[in-house]
Amino acid sequence: MRRVMIIDESRCVGCEACVLACKNENNVPEGMYRDWVVQETRGVFPEVSLSIRSERCNHCQSAPCVTNCPTGASHYRGDGTVQIDRALCTGCRACIAACPYGARFVHPDGYVDKCTLCAHRLDRGEGTACEEVCPTKAIAVGDADDPTSEVARRMRRASLYVLQPEAATLPNVAYVR
Amino acid sequence: MDPHVEIESTRSLAGALGGINWGWEIPVYLFLGGLVAGLLMAVSAVVVLRGREAVTEGMRRGLLATPVLLSLGMGALFIDLTYKLHVFRFYTAFRPAAPMSWGSWILLAVYPLMALLVMALPPKFLAGALREGTSPLGRLVAWCGAHLRGLALAGVAGGAALGLYTGLLLSATGAQPLWSSGALGALFLASGASAGVAALMLVERDHAASVMLARADVGLIAAELVAVGLWLAALLTQGPQFREAAGLVLWGEYAPVFVGFVLFGGLIVPAALEALALRGRAAHSRAVPALVLLGGMLLRVVIVYAGQSVTFVRA
Repeated sequence: MRRVMIIDESRCVGCEACVLACKNENNVPEGMYRDWVVQETRGVFPEVSLSIRSERCNHCQSAPCVTNCPTGASHYRGDGTVQIDRALCTGCRACIAACPYGARFVHPDGYVDKCTLCAHRLDRGEGTACEEVCPTKAIAVGDADDPTSEVARRMRRASLYVLQPEAATLPNVAYVR
Repeated sequence: MDPHVEIESTRSLAGALGGINWGWEIPVYLFLGGLVAGLLMAVSAVVVLRGREAVTEGMRRGLLATPVLLSLGMGALFIDLTYKLHVFRFYTAFRPAAPMSWGSWILLAVYPLMALLVMALPPKFLAGALREGTSPLGRLVAWCGAHLRGLALAGVAGGAALGLYTGLLLSATGAQPLWSSGALGALFLASGASAGVAALMLVERDHAASVMLARADVGLIAAELVAVGLWLAALLTQGPQFREAAGLVLWGEYAPVFVGFVLFGGLIVPAALEALALRGRAAHSRAVPALVLLGGMLLRVVIVYAGQSVTFVRA
């Protein structure tokens, strides 16, 4: 199994419900966020395009945070997602320095925190909080190895792309336009 | 950045961007670690190349300072941890791909090495306490004395590993353009070695030894300048973010400190003054090694802080 999140940019309206749902579900401290919304405007009027997307930890298959973690706190789970074992985290923040997506932050309790892809919910057979709250179904989470899944269907689209491909991190979070 | 692209993000609220992840503790540690690496390599190299007799009282005192300086550096690292209770976790795992894991174990290995070298080469005021004899300590001192060359070779290797790792720690992270160069390892190694030699020059009273150290320092500064050149050339010949990062230290916000106090004040001017003194055209001055040490510290401050000012993340 390879758990992936595919976000359909053309469906995203930038309502930020995903951000609020994540904060609620995961008790993310005030002023800190595990996901966020980016609005990108390109071109010069009248040739202008707008894209809106929900971003988070990319759960990379070749994650620099995992490589640089000196204690093994940052690790790959069996489903391919990147997780943090709080019991092993020293707060050295090498992972924050290594993440090309700026997806991590220091929790007030001292350990480093980030999106877990709602691993606790997925283990119960539920979707992630951001996926379930999304009013336009822009976010889909599933098994990339299952050709009948919604994520596999989206991954077959030609417009599939990942953030910062030049970083060669092989993200498990991807976007379609 | 393409002027026709405008990016807004709610992430800026998260404090994940624009902030300093690693503060003053890291450059302080990197400097002290490099200084200790330099002291270890310098004194050990004297033993290997010139023998025990060439080791002066100043060098013995410099060696004695290494565990103190390294402990201060590790103290800064400890202050930097945000989950201090878990500090022991560095030593419950070895992660070969993580430079910080290598560093943790290298630090642990270097402590006994420093202690054994001090026992073999104690300064005068400790010579009485560290005498060869039949007690366990006396036998250990005798063993150290008998294996001094082997310990010195280990000192060169341990110092090199420590100095090299301080640079690789930054370059391995990969998310900061300014740090994305393997030349940082060579730069920090040369800078640490130069700082170690400069520290010895500060306390050295023997004229012949001072001349030997000054010669070594000029060579090390030349090597450091080559490493600086390679590092900046690599940045300037890559993409726009790399050039922006190089610009920060060459003509941007950090340029006055980097160009003024690191390149000129900490490298070119001291090397020129040392070269003049070696030719008899100027007097040897303790201000010169002091400038080298100050430059070494500021080099790490600039690289750590400027490095975090330019990232690949756009918003």
